[in-house]
Amino acid sequence: MKVVGPEPDDELLFRIQSGDEQAFMALYNRRQAALYRFALHMSGSAAVAEDITQEVFLTVLREGCGYDAGRGTLSGYLFGIARKLMLRHAERERSDVALELDADDGGLPQLAVSNDPLIDLTRREGIENLRRAVQALPRRYREVVVLCDLEEVDYADAAVALGCPIGTVRSRLHRARGLLLEKLSHERSPRHAGNVLKPARCLT
Amino acid sequence: MNCQEFWDRMPELGGEVDDHHLRECAACAARMERQGELQAGLRAMAESDRRAGAPARVESRLRAAFRGEMGMDAGRPVRSGWRLVLPWAAAAAAVVVLAVVMVRARQPETTATPSARGTDMAMVVSTGDAAGDYEGFIPLPNAGKLADTEDVNLVRVEVPRSAMIALGLEVSPERASEMVEADVMIGPDGLARAVRFLDADTL
Repeated sequence: MKVVGPEPDDELLFRIQSGDEQAFMALYNRRQAALYRFALHMSGSAAVAEDITQEVFLTVLREGCGYDAGRGTLSGYLFGIARKLMLRHAERERSDVALELDADDGGLPQLAVSNDPLIDLTRREGIENLRRAVQALPRRYREVVVLCDLEEVDYADAAVALGCPIGTVRSRLHRARGLLLEKLSHERSPRHAGNVLKPARCLT
Repeated sequence: MNCQEFWDRMPELGGEVDDHHLRECAACAARMERQGELQAGLRAMAESDRRAGAPARVESRLRAAFRGEMGMDAGRPVRSGWRLVLPWAAAAAAVVVLAVVMVRARQPETTATPSARGTDMAMVVSTGDAAGDYEGFIPLPNAGKLADTEDVNLVRVEVPRSAMIALGLEVSPERASEMVEADVMIGPDGLARAVRFLDADTL
């Protein structure tokens, strides 16, 4: 028996451009949730996430939406559209506090994180602490955490979405995890937090 | 290998974790354990958000946008009649009710006379709004204006007759709770812009 896999995104896009409504809705249903969550994590607003998700697919509808299969997957391209829309929104609203912190990569945002040292990050309260920590990351680091760690987008697609080399994605992700770890470790054990991100002190 | 070199070889950077260093460096081992907890936490967070997605209304709007973009029903800027699509109707009814609530909040004592009603209708025509091109439509409060070139949909719904009061029409108190048919004009963005009560003259 021949098992038929899901139709590739590229083929759906081809059918969409031929006026196939079913293909459009299939692509939407396949990709909307991840795009919505990306926008939600980046904006912290369900209303903004809804608008962004809608606008991404309206962009797909427009003639010559600019997708080039040679430069990456459609998924990465859609995340890239969502990201640009987010940036535009942030510029308009100037309400994204984390954006203002971009200029100061060395500093960590102040978070209202629980100081319960026993909290388990996989439990509900721990997840909420982690969510706030992610939300408070500077944008460039939040983007990679949301894409690579939360949405499990591969580095190549993330690079397409962010418009940067894969190496930059890797280094930002490394730095982002360090920032998260530093903050969460600091909350658990303030006395030793100063050593957490200074491995050079330990020369074995 | 020192600690800096160890952390510079993390998998996300394209390297591999050096177990030998972890056995020798308690500080890095402890931090590595915390990193594992962080990864588990991020996975749990992703899992807890797995069901989140755009609300159904986005799909409805996009479907309408697709049809508009592809020229479906071209030449018929207004699709009128009894093409009742349940989600549209529900959304439109909700918008009308919301508009009523908003108007009531602003104008709790709205008691328009028949002459005032005539004024309202005249204002519809003078707005320059596309809604004014369709006889009998009353723009909803706070609704954006429609350009002449914009495509619109009409959805027929039932709303409480009291909604007419809120829009400046006169209704006898004993009939305020009755339901009345109305055509709701929906703009290309899926939002209701204007309403026309079908039996406004039998108040």
